[in-house]
Amino acid sequence: MALIEASHGSKVSQDNHQVRTAWSMTAPALALMFLILLVPIVVAGVLSFSNYSLGNTGFDWVGSQNYERLFSRSTYEKMFIATFTYVVTVVPISVGLGLGAALLVHSLGRVGDIYKTIYFLPVMATLLAMAIAWEFMLHPTIGMVNRTLEIACGTWLETIPFFLQGCEGSFPLWLGDRDYAIWVVCFIGIWQGFGFNMVLFLAGLTSVHRELYNAAEMDGARSGWEQFRLVTWPALGPTTVFVVTISCIRAFQVFDTIEAFWPQGGGPSKSAYVMMFAIFEKGIQQNLIGVGSAITMLFLLFVMFLTLIQRWLIERKVHYG
Amino acid sequence: MSGLQIDAVEKDFGETSVLKGVTLNINDGEFVSLVGPSGCGKSTLLRIIAGLETATRGTVSIDGTDVTHVRAADRNLSMVFQSYALYPHLTVAENIAVPLRMRQMSTTQRLPVVGGLIPGTGPLKRDISQAVRHAAEMLEIGALLDRKPGQLSGGQRQRVALGRALVRNPAAFLLDEPLSNLDAKLRVQTRAEIAQLHRKLKATFIYVTHDQVEAMTMSDRIAVMMGGEILQCAAPEVIYEDPNDIRVAEFIGSPKINILPLEHTNDGVVLLGRVLDWPMPAGMPHLMQLGLRPEALRLVEGPSKLRGRVVHFENLGSEIFAQVVLYDGDIRLTLRATPADRQRLSLGKEVSLEFELRSGLIFDTAGKRLRMAEVKTRAAKEVA
Ligand SMILES: Nc1ncnc2c1ncn2[C@@H]1O[C@H](COP(=O)(O)OP(=O)(O)O)[C@@H](O)[C@H]1O
Ligand SMILES: [Mg+2]
Repeated sequence: MALIEASHGSKVSQDNHQVRTAWSMTAPALALMFLILLVPIVVAGVLSFSNYSLGNTGFDWVGSQNYERLFSRSTYEKMFIATFTYVVTVVPISVGLGLGAALLVHSLGRVGDIYKTIYFLPVMATLLAMAIAWEFMLHPTIGMVNRTLEIACGTWLETIPFFLQGCEGSFPLWLGDRDYAIWVVCFIGIWQGFGFNMVLFLAGLTSVHRELYNAAEMDGARSGWEQFRLVTWPALGPTTVFVVTISCIRAFQVFDTIEAFWPQGGGPSKSAYVMMFAIFEKGIQQNLIGVGSAITMLFLLFVMFLTLIQRWLIERKVHYG
Repeated sequence: MSGLQIDAVEKDFGETSVLKGVTLNINDGEFVSLVGPSGCGKSTLLRIIAGLETATRGTVSIDGTDVTHVRAADRNLSMVFQSYALYPHLTVAENIAVPLRMRQMSTTQRLPVVGGLIPGTGPLKRDISQAVRHAAEMLEIGALLDRKPGQLSGGQRQRVALGRALVRNPAAFLLDEPLSNLDAKLRVQTRAEIAQLHRKLKATFIYVTHDQVEAMTMSDRIAVMMGGEILQCAAPEVIYEDPNDIRVAEFIGSPKINILPLEHTNDGVVLLGRVLDWPMPAGMPHLMQLGLRPEALRLVEGPSKLRGRVVHFENLGSEIFAQVVLYDGDIRLTLRATPADRQRLSLGKEVSLEFELRSGLIFDTAGKRLRMAEVKTRAAKEVA
C-alpha cells in the first residue's frame, strides 16, 4: 500500500513538473501574442470610450458617445454605404472572375502560364503607382477611357442611352462624379484582386484528383457543368471559403486607392468614404483618437465575424474528413 | 450483358507506342484478366475500352456495335478505379447513387428544392434509394450508408467503389487493380468475393492486375500482356502448363520457372555438358532453352546428373521451396519439395535432382515455344 502511494505521489510531482515545463516554454510565445496582438486591441477598445487626442496629457471618458455618433451622423452613414457597396460588389465579382480565370488557365496547361503571369501582374504592382495610371486613363478630357468612348459617337452604339448622353453632352467625369466614383474604385479593386484569387484557386485545383473526372464521366456526367458540380466545386470548397473570407477582409480594408485619388475627403461628396479612410481621417489627420478607435472596433467586429463564419463553414461543411 | 471485341488497337503517346496492336475477343459473361508487369499498358487498354482514352488505331466494339468514337458516358460500362475515386463530399449512399442519378434524372430533377416539384421525381428517387440499398446489402456495407468516404477503411472504400459500379446494369465491368491498395489478408478475401460476385451477376468482367495469383484464381481466361502486346490469352491452366512464350512462362507461376540452356548437337541433346536421351526431331535449332517448373524437379538419393548445393530454402509448412546452385554452369534452380523431404534439405547440403523429360518446356533463343522439340510420349522417362 505504502509502495503504491509512494509511486503515486512521485507520479503527481512528475506531472506537476511537466505542466510547469510546458507553461514555461509556452510563456514567451503567449507573452508576445498578448503584447503584440491583444494589447493594441484592448487599448483601442478603451480609447473608443474617450475623447483622447494625441499630445494631450489627459482625456475624459465620454461613454458610448463615439459609437452613438457613428450611427447618427450622415457622414458615417455614407461611410457604411460606401464600405458595403464596395464589399458587396468586389467580393463576389473578384471571387467569380478568379475562379473562372483559374479554370481557364488550368485547362490550358502550359500556355496558361502566360495568362497566369498577366493576371497576376496587378497583384504585384503597388496600388499607389497603379492609381496614378488609372487617374490618367480616367481623366475626363484627355483620358484614354473617354477618348475611346468618343470613337463610338456617330455609330449605331449611339442608340444606347449611355453613349447618346455622352456624345451629346460629355462622358462621365468618373473620379469626379459622385455617381461613378465608388464604382470606379470597385472596378479597380476587382482588377487588382481577382488575379490573387485566381492563384489561390489554381492551387486548389491542383489538389483535385484527376481520376475523379474519369469516374464522373463513367457515371454519366456528360457536360462540363455536371463534372464541375460533381467534382471540381466540392473539391474547391475549402479554397472557396478561404478566398471569400480573404477577399472580404481585403475589401473592408480598402484604403490606398481612395487615398491616392482623393487625399482630401474620400471622393465627391464622400461617396467613396470607406471605413479605413475614415479611421485614417479621424484618427490620424484630425487627431480624434476616440472616434477613430470606435470605427476601428467596429471594423474588427466585422472581420472577427467573417473569420468565425469561415471557421464554422470549414469545419462543418467543406472538410470531408 | 454482352461481349466485347477489341480489334488491332494501337495507342501512341506522342512518340512512344504504348499498345502495339492488341486484339482480344471477350465473350458475354466471361471474366478476363489482363495481367502483366507494371507499365505494360494494361491500364491504357482498359481506359481505351472504357472510352476514357481514344485508340490511335483499331476499333472497340460492344456486342458487335462499333463504339470506338462513342464517349465513355455513353458506352454503358462500369469501372472501378485503383484509387477508388469516390466523391469525398458525398456519403456512401450518395456515392453509389451517382450513376443512377446522372443517367435517370434530368438536370432540373437533380436540383435540390426545385427538383422535388417536378412530377415523377419522388418515385424515381425511391427507386434509386432502393437500388442503392440492394447494392449495399450485396456488398455488406448497408451499415455504412451515411458515412463519408473519409471515414471508411481501405477495404470499405473498395466495396463502395464496387457498389457504385454494380448499382446499374452495365454491359461490362472494368476493374483496374481494385485490390492493390488492400492488405494481403483482405486481398485474398475480396478476391474470392469478386469471383463470387461475377458468378452471381453473370456479367462480363475485365480485370486488370499485375498480380498473377489474382489472375490465376479469378479468371475464365487470362491475357498476359507485355510491352504493349498480348502474348497469350487462354484459360489459367493452359497459360500455366502450356505457355506460348518464355515471357509468359516466366511471368506466371510463383516461384518462377527455371530456365536452362539446351544444345542440340550431332551427339544429341546436351544439357550442361551432359547428353540426354532425348528424341529430338530434325530441323530444330542448335541452341534452345529448357523451362522446368519448380514442381517438375525431384530430389533423389545418390548420384545424378544435376547436382548442386542448397543456398536458400523457404519452408511454407505445406511445401518447401529450395534454391540449389548447380555445380555446372553456376545456375540457380528453384525446387518445390514436400515436407517429407525436409530432412534432406538444409543450407549448404549437397543434393541430386532429376526431372521427367516430358515436363520440360522447350523455347527457342528468342523465347518462342518449340512444341515440336518436346518429348510427348509417356515412355520417354529419362532422367537427367
Ligand atoms: N497520359 C499518358 N501520357 C504519356 N504516357 C503515358 C500516359 N499514360 C500512360 N503512359 C505510359 O504508358 C505506359 C503504360 O502505362 P499503363 O497503361 O498505365 O501501364 P500499366 O497499367 O500496365 O502499369 C507507361 O509507360 C506510361 O508511362
Ligand atoms: Mg495501371
